[in-house]
Amino acid sequence: MELSDEIIINAPKDRVYAALNDPEILQQCIPGCEELIKHSDTELEAKVVLKVGPVKAKFSGDVQLDTTGAPDAFSLTGQGNGGTAGHAKGGADVTLTADGDQTILRYEAKADIGGKLAQLGSRLIQSTAKKLAAKFFKSFADVVNEERVT
Amino acid sequence: MKDEITREERVDNLKGMGCSRKRVEDARFTQGKGNYVDDIKLDGMLFGDFVRSPYAHARIKNIDTSAALEVPGVLAVLTAADLEPLGLHWMPTLAGDKQMVLADGKVLFQGQEVAFVVAEDRFAAADGIEAVVVDYEELPVIVDPFKALQSDVVLREDLVAEDGTIPDGAHGPRKHPNHIFTWEAGDKAPTEEVIANADVVAEESMYYHRTHPCPLETCGCVASMDKVNGKLTLWGTFQAPHAIRTIVSLISGIEEHNIRVISPDIGGGFGNKVGAYPGYVCSVVASIVTGKPVKWVEDRMDNLMTTAFARDYWMKGKISATKDGKITGLQCHVTADHGGFDACADPTKFPAGFMNICTGSYDIPTAYLEVDGVYTNKAPGGVSYRCSFRVTEAVYFIERMVEVLAIKLNMDAAELRRINFIKKEQFPYTAALGWEYDSGDYHTAWDKALKAVDYDGLRKEQAERVAAFKRGETRKLMGIGLSFFTEIVGAGPVKNCDILGLGMFDSCEIRIHPTGSAIARLGTISQGQGHATTFAQILASEIGLPADSITIEEGDTDTAPYGLGTYGSRSTPVAGAATAMAGRKIRAKAQMIAAYLLEVHDNDVEFDVDRFAVKGAPEKFKTMKEIAFAAYNQAIPGIEPGLEAVSYYDPPNMTYPFGAYVCVMDIDVDTGVPEIRRFYALDDCGTRINPMIIEGQVHGGLTEALAVALGQEIAYDDMGNCKTGTLMDFFLPTAWEVPNYETDFTVTPSPHHPIGAKGVGESPHVGGVPCFSNAVQDAFRPFGNTHTNMPHDHWRIWKTANELGLHD
Repeated sequence: MELSDEIIINAPKDRVYAALNDPEILQQCIPGCEELIKHSDTELEAKVVLKVGPVKAKFSGDVQLDTTGAPDAFSLTGQGNGGTAGHAKGGADVTLTADGDQTILRYEAKADIGGKLAQLGSRLIQSTAKKLAAKFFKSFADVVNEERVT
Repeated sequence: MKDEITREERVDNLKGMGCSRKRVEDARFTQGKGNYVDDIKLDGMLFGDFVRSPYAHARIKNIDTSAALEVPGVLAVLTAADLEPLGLHWMPTLAGDKQMVLADGKVLFQGQEVAFVVAEDRFAAADGIEAVVVDYEELPVIVDPFKALQSDVVLREDLVAEDGTIPDGAHGPRKHPNHIFTWEAGDKAPTEEVIANADVVAEESMYYHRTHPCPLETCGCVASMDKVNGKLTLWGTFQAPHAIRTIVSLISGIEEHNIRVISPDIGGGFGNKVGAYPGYVCSVVASIVTGKPVKWVEDRMDNLMTTAFARDYWMKGKISATKDGKITGLQCHVTADHGGFDACADPTKFPAGFMNICTGSYDIPTAYLEVDGVYTNKAPGGVSYRCSFRVTEAVYFIERMVEVLAIKLNMDAAELRRINFIKKEQFPYTAALGWEYDSGDYHTAWDKALKAVDYDGLRKEQAERVAAFKRGETRKLMGIGLSFFTEIVGAGPVKNCDILGLGMFDSCEIRIHPTGSAIARLGTISQGQGHATTFAQILASEIGLPADSITIEEGDTDTAPYGLGTYGSRSTPVAGAATAMAGRKIRAKAQMIAAYLLEVHDNDVEFDVDRFAVKGAPEKFKTMKEIAFAAYNQAIPGIEPGLEAVSYYDPPNMTYPFGAYVCVMDIDVDTGVPEIRRFYALDDCGTRINPMIIEGQVHGGLTEALAVALGQEIAYDDMGNCKTGTLMDFFLPTAWEVPNYETDFTVTPSPHHPIGAKGVGESPHVGGVPCFSNAVQDAFRPFGNTHTNMPHDHWRIWKTANELGLHD
């Protein structure tokens, strides 16, 4: 499954980049995220409750960040396991481009999904993933914008 | 004594063979009074369910059941480690392979059984399943059998010796760790020579996709071990209850007399319920462990993902002919994807079933077939989904090859068939791949079918449609699907047919009651076929008691005689023959009793519908009812009391039903939607016992054929995810898709069957799949199509149209 999109965030690039690396903000924005622990600058551990169609499961997984492209690019890879519900692994490449006061965020994500999620969700998963990504970036944009206002 | 009703009325009163007697089963089914496995509720009954693998190939590093055991209502969690001391962590499959009951160190397909959670109810079991923590290490997944034969990834490490050599399998040498067997029929060198020197050769590769029988009722069982008397009772959705009893005894060590297997009402089987599944073994073990009855019933996903798929044959063929279209040779190679374990339900000597019926209805002098079985990371199975042991694959193959040859020869496909049919006078006919066809009259059936549909008129209309399409006046193409099939059913002669060493005879035991009614028990089991109706009709005609006075009972191994069950259209050919033969034993004794009562010699009485009458003096007779009473209650010198008989029937040959089908289809090239305008089905199943039931079977079989040809599949992605595990993705036709079927028949009785019957349950499926598929292919023939793979769902049809440039 592949996803890509671009959104405009009403904040400067370095601020967006910092927010992308802030576990608190991420936890706030990732739909269903119950826990996000930062083990190091590049290693995170997440617990996320995910619902695809009739399957609802708690995923726990590891996320590795690649920040070598900072502050223009940012990559992450991860894998999660939802027990009987299935498992997923994948990654995303994010690029940030300054556009005046704003930042254009583009992402390309790829995921392999297995188990019940894939079986039940083969026709739901793409739309669900799109929805979740949109939700994440909307919350993310809102949070970053809000911070700027305050 | 005066005869008050006419002979004709006496015949009618019996409701014997040939009568469209209403199904006696339906009174209970239509009122919701059926008794299925899930209806069984016993005191203190527990429920077991599986933790299943989300991975298609993975090593199991650890299974932690501790949290699951804390879940309220969960009593036990079984793993392979618990079954190992009992030797029950692996079990034999019907194909001579062995299969893990619970994952033993690794999993080989998605949905594989990893642990069995036993709880007070289904809900607690589901909670328990969520709490079992399994630590998997992913392994590379192989879902393509061709890649499996090239890969270094070994799926079945248990089948490779420590020094890396590959021991023989159940069916001989294996050439790669992921290879199961090579099976051959016919003569290779002569066939290759004929094809190399032929005027015309057509070649085609086709994939008969993996699909699933998907019965309305899923598989399940209730195991109840009575520890006081040592008896195990096992209710289950078993198509072969006696075989299950023997297998349970062999693998559990419980003596067979202490096992009672009961198949209650079954909501469709279609082959899905022939095999032995881990759920049965785990339920039995769980009942022994807990001392309580344990129920296991699959949900729909479990059923589609794990129990008994069908087909998955990659077939490559060559067919040769003279310039005028006389077929001279046929060659076929199959790469058979068997999944993680070889659990095919085939007779032992036939690891590719009866695929060697692939010369079809044609007089093909030389042929060669080679089948390679392969392991992949898919669910095991390989059952005959409404067909006798790979016969749909064989018939699909030949009926496609004939069409492809017709294109090559630029000949009409109906005519090509006609000039190659085995002629009536050639029967019994020994085919190049070994089978002896018992009887047939193909030309008569074909001519009748083509006339009924006005074949020439259809071709004319089709040509006009193509012209109109090219002029841009329509976007719909017309396809004429033809199929002429020969089935091979009624397995089978014990000399060459056994499953796990169990001979494929069948049986009937009849008890006549003193007042002239009867009970008959058979080794088969109805799953909707209407046995209680039709077998009573056979008996009514044989013993002269009304069908309405005869109870048919099946499925309880404590009472029914041993038999190999119902699948592969074997019930009527085998158990139906046993029924007739047992009836004839009853009649022989009745004849002696009648002669005594009429004070004449045995040879001076003759059977007439419902009585024995003195030859030449029909007014002197004793009805079977009177004879039954006398059999029990009159002291007859030299004859012991009672009127009972049992017959175990070992058929001398298979039976060979055949049929001619025509489908007329209109295809919208822009949406890919096929509309079936007409479907004509002529079946010759020999003697017809109950025409109404035959018609019902034909409708059902055709509908399942439509499903398979036009959309039904079990599909996997590259990770081994089963993508069609629910009825949202797995196509089951509804009234919306099903056309009106026209049924017809000819009657060519089987010469070796006691009543000449051949079986019909599967014919419409076997003949229907190529007919629907040929209609789709035929619609695109004028635009250069020779073959596209099934299932022809809307998307694939659209794609075919697109690739042929019809959207330009």
